[in-house]
Amino acid sequence: MSISLETPYLDISDPSFAMQSEQLREAREQSWYARTNYGIAVLRYDEVSKLLKSPKLSQGSGKWPDHNGVHGGLFYDWWTKNLLVLEGEDHHRIRRLLNPAFSPRMIKELTPRFQALAEELISNFIDDGECEFIRDFAEPYATRVLTILLGIDESECPTIARLASTVGLALGVTFKRDLEKVDAAVGELYEYAEALIKDRQKNPGEDFFSRLVLASRDGDRLSDEELRNALVLLIFGGMDTTRNQLGLAMQSFMRNPEQWELLAERPELGGKAVEEVMRTNPTVTWVTREAVEDFTYQDLFIEKGTTVHLFTQSSGTDPKAFPNPEMDLLAENPPHYGFGGGVHHCLGHFVARADMSEALPLLARRIANPHLTGGDEWLPDSGNTGPIRLPIGFTKRT
Amino acid sequence: MGNIHVDRKLCDNHGQCAIAAPDVFRMNDDGILEFDEGFADTLLDEVEEAIDVCPVQAIFLKD
Repeated sequence: MSISLETPYLDISDPSFAMQSEQLREAREQSWYARTNYGIAVLRYDEVSKLLKSPKLSQGSGKWPDHNGVHGGLFYDWWTKNLLVLEGEDHHRIRRLLNPAFSPRMIKELTPRFQALAEELISNFIDDGECEFIRDFAEPYATRVLTILLGIDESECPTIARLASTVGLALGVTFKRDLEKVDAAVGELYEYAEALIKDRQKNPGEDFFSRLVLASRDGDRLSDEELRNALVLLIFGGMDTTRNQLGLAMQSFMRNPEQWELLAERPELGGKAVEEVMRTNPTVTWVTREAVEDFTYQDLFIEKGTTVHLFTQSSGTDPKAFPNPEMDLLAENPPHYGFGGGVHHCLGHFVARADMSEALPLLARRIANPHLTGGDEWLPDSGNTGPIRLPIGFTKRT
Repeated sequence: MGNIHVDRKLCDNHGQCAIAAPDVFRMNDDGILEFDEGFADTLLDEVEEAIDVCPVQAIFLKD
């Protein structure tokens, strides 16, 4: 690869690597891309937008286990067969069968249930003047949205949350060390999924998951194994991300109290709040792609097999595309790439957008002046980030 | 016969429509959307799926 040594370098595997840092802003100012410890990182909006959808790049996460020294096992088998890493017609066929259940029309029907859930969780801590926002809101909200989608009892929440978090360890830099735990959790999820699929095949209902089980197109349908893999992906991809993104949303609003007040006064800005939080403070800090052939983009020759990290927060706050990059619920900004893009655009984004756009204004309407009270703990910025613990204080709004 | 309108200001060329309704929408070699404005009634289900699935909701049916 013809990369000059003057190109900025970022060590993205370093647990202390910070996305929202002077180092990154300087790199973005200097160059549209940076070298990293594996592959390149794309830092600016226009380039991220184009490369994200470029036919010259394929989904680059397929080799994630191999990159981490994991070459087999239950997680490995699932990962290499799931929608995230499939390409071409194999991917399109499954996506077509999954799509209808995720359509915005179907998801819209769930709005009253999302609202009731948010109200219930808020009422549990509103009189205390403080809460641990992840434990008391973000995690139970994300988990129970999933139980609503799957049509299962909320008593299953702790099990689902535990399994999802354990499988989520596979995305961390300590994957190999955690492999045994991860594989055991995948095994448990498989059993859970298989029982649920059997149940819905026998007793289909009106719920989202029944629609998946019954989905067919042109005489084709998902096999039990494909359904199971999709269900694991739904749990794996839908829960931690929503929990983390809600935690990051609270962080963003604590940094921008006037935006919180605006949201409290104008709950119809809930949708804009989600977009602005995800543009400026996304949980998915980069989207990975891999060059399927040699090609030249702008001044850079990119060799086949090169890993390309598309940085979401960096592109979403690029001053070249956003003259005022600060979070602004009233701004008309171009779309962010916090849900990725192209053929691998997040399948569940309508669900995530719908549930978070209900949760945030309801929180703002009840809670004034949220602020950190200390003891917050954070995931590293590499991979999927967000708070693990977020103790906050607030004033109850009357 | 139905007619399609794509709001090109909204369209971000993700290509989800080309997955949902490959008989009507396709992405060219530069990754830019091309589509047939008119489509046969038998493709209506497919086109409605494309409309639903568009991440930026840029596809509309014209009367």
